[in-house]
Amino acid sequence: MTTLYLERASAVHRLNPVTKLVALLAIIAIVFAVPQWWIPLGIVVLVVVPAAVLARVGGRLLRLFLILLLPLLVVLFIVQGFFFPDGTTVLWQWGPARLTVEGLVFSLTIGSRLSALVLGSLVFVLTTHPARLMTALTQAGMSSKIAYVISASLQIIPAFQERARSILLAQQARGLEIAGGPLRRARALLPLIAPLVLGMITDVDERSTAMEARAFGATPRPTSLTVVDDPLSERIGRWLLAAAAAAVIVLVVVGVIA
Amino acid sequence: MIELRDVAFAYEDAPAFTLAHLDLDVAAGTIMGIVGASGSGKTTLAKIIAGFIPSTEGGTYRGTASVAGAVLSEGTLTEAVDVVGLVTQNPFNQISGARFTVREELAFGLENRSVERSQMIERVDAVADTLGLTALLDRSPYALSGGQMQLVAIASMVVMAPPVLVLDEPTSQLDPAGTRLVYDVLARLSEGGTTVVIIEHKTELLHEHCDAISVLASGRIVSTGTPATVFADDRLSTWGVGQTRITQAAREARARGLLPVTALLPVGVSDGAAVFAENGAAR
Amino acid sequence: MNDLTIRIDGLRHTYESGVEAVAGVDLTIAPGERVAIVGQNGAGKTTLVRHLNGMVRPTEGAVHIGDWSTSDKSIAELSHRVGYVFQNPDEQIFARTVEGDVGFGPKNLGFEPEQITESVMTALEAVGLAHEAQVHPHHLSLSERKRVAIAAVLAMRTPIVVLDEPTTGQDEDGVRLIASIIDDLTARGTTVVAITHDMDFCVENFERVVVMARGTVRADGPTARVFADQPALEAAAVEPPQLARLARVLGWSEMAVDPSGFVDAYERRRRG
Repeated sequence: MTTLYLERASAVHRLNPVTKLVALLAIIAIVFAVPQWWIPLGIVVLVVVPAAVLARVGGRLLRLFLILLLPLLVVLFIVQGFFFPDGTTVLWQWGPARLTVEGLVFSLTIGSRLSALVLGSLVFVLTTHPARLMTALTQAGMSSKIAYVISASLQIIPAFQERARSILLAQQARGLEIAGGPLRRARALLPLIAPLVLGMITDVDERSTAMEARAFGATPRPTSLTVVDDPLSERIGRWLLAAAAAAVIVLVVVGVIA
Repeated sequence: MIELRDVAFAYEDAPAFTLAHLDLDVAAGTIMGIVGASGSGKTTLAKIIAGFIPSTEGGTYRGTASVAGAVLSEGTLTEAVDVVGLVTQNPFNQISGARFTVREELAFGLENRSVERSQMIERVDAVADTLGLTALLDRSPYALSGGQMQLVAIASMVVMAPPVLVLDEPTSQLDPAGTRLVYDVLARLSEGGTTVVIIEHKTELLHEHCDAISVLASGRIVSTGTPATVFADDRLSTWGVGQTRITQAAREARARGLLPVTALLPVGVSDGAAVFAENGAAR
Repeated sequence: MNDLTIRIDGLRHTYESGVEAVAGVDLTIAPGERVAIVGQNGAGKTTLVRHLNGMVRPTEGAVHIGDWSTSDKSIAELSHRVGYVFQNPDEQIFARTVEGDVGFGPKNLGFEPEQITESVMTALEAVGLAHEAQVHPHHLSLSERKRVAIAAVLAMRTPIVVLDEPTTGQDEDGVRLIASIIDDLTARGTTVVAITHDMDFCVENFERVVVMARGTVRADGPTARVFADQPALEAAAVEPPQLARLARVLGWSEMAVDPSGFVDAYERRRRG
């Protein structure tokens, strides 16, 4: 598996990836700018979750939430809620653990920001194919070399895994016993890392020859086989999103939102 | 089309020259096969013809290599790759890594050359069709078998339609059917005016498809000529190049007095059949 | 001679992708036999032979190596009986020195230290790379790395050796070297199973050929007989060796295995 991307026919999937990226960045800017914990929570409930449902990736998002985020939130709530050093308004106490209002608010603030950030990013990744993102970004003016580095690093992971898998298989074929739990497997994999990296480096040399043979970098303005639609409505939408985020930040800075 | 004059090259820190006093001429629109033992300098020669040596490789370079009248070492690498397409040995390392489908992979070079989109689609479809890749166009390039990757690597260079094409052991992972397909494509390209240089171990195929053969041994061209004369040369095995079984059989028949000494040794099936039938083998 | 019969019964293998790579194969290979498996890319050859050391498990049917069923042995256990050389050496080689890589198998199999040194050096001499023992494999050429991969399996001294495309990228001397290695293995009583696209190499070095197409066996038998079975070869898109094709064009009914054999037949015909 290369990415988390899920192929679905939905309006969210069809959006220009740059629009989705701008929306994500706007959300991140807003939730970290405003001090109120209920605003990030509101964004999660009113924007992120509906978007996931509309894109028919809600189930996967929930699963990822349970695996990735929930444990983190629980730890955060316990540590900050019960052991917040500056907490004065004690609600409940048992030994050294004191549940304070300040600790609760702090963990809610951090937790809701974190949720908006992680869930928003997940919806983005779940609904955006990396190839389409790269194309859209290059179309929007990003350098093709930077696009190459990003795409290549996305693809190098599965290629790396594939290689590690085949070498491990070859080692077993030469008598290496790995059926002995994760520790044994890890011990078997450890000596693999150096040669794998070295192998990849030799590859880079050969690959750069192959890339240059195909005129990579010969022109700053390459054309593109795949074209990502970018209707006027989305371009306006992006500016509005950016303006909204900027406005919120200004309002926070000048003290209207406190 | 290709002219190498007294070319020599030694890699950085290498104790000896990989190539020395090398002269090579390839006429426009012909297919030249390069044969030689492992370590004879074939890959280095390919990189010189394609302009990658000396521009991307440190070391000592002497002599002149010109393609279509331009001396490669005097121009930029981009200028060179516009004239000479290079297909390197390991297909896995020829996948760009930047594209997610075979279709996009094939278009990669055209994008870099700012080819218009409609033309790009046409050319990618056409090359995929000739190399039997149409069914794979929407697959990830990394999900292919070694043989399929090799065909994609060749197609990704053929699609750019360079006037000169250099291929370094392009059929090593292909089965006979895939190998024939590649040679058919090269033959068609050469009919269309493309000059082809191919490094290969498969003597019989080279004999069938090449206009000329050069033998490389210890960094020097030791023999050049038509496939029929080069592959029938008695010195071939001393240069580490295999003779076909038919040539070996004809040599033995000649030694045993069954074929006239004057007969040119056959290499492939059709010339072999002619020689043996003429001398009483057919029944 | 080893005493391990390879028995493949009703074998099917379907990959997760849904592709049925092996679609019902029955095959018995006697101890010490040398068998070549030929067929187009995608015919199921590699999937079939990967069952021999458990790298691929039967979806249906069974594979036995002597009294062991590969279904209930680990790859490591099976490596005591079956050595496997990968087609692409870079999928196999991992150590920092040639010697270290070749010694990996013997070490895992529990060879004594002096036995390891001895088997490593013998194997490296067999592939003509004894002088490169201390070199980093990445400094060798692809055809040399291929020979390191072969040495790594020779050093294990398994009763069965599987070779996936041993001659790719080898020049004339390399192919001859591999042929002599196979002879040495046979002299030791080792069973050799090889996949190959090189029909000249196949006809000259294997007494038995198995032709595969679409996951099934289309022909199986003595090399000369199989290469005379034109319909089966055509169905599997396998091109016969050069001398067989020549004999066919000349209208001969028999097939010569090597140039000398061909000339003998030619001489007989000339005499009438």
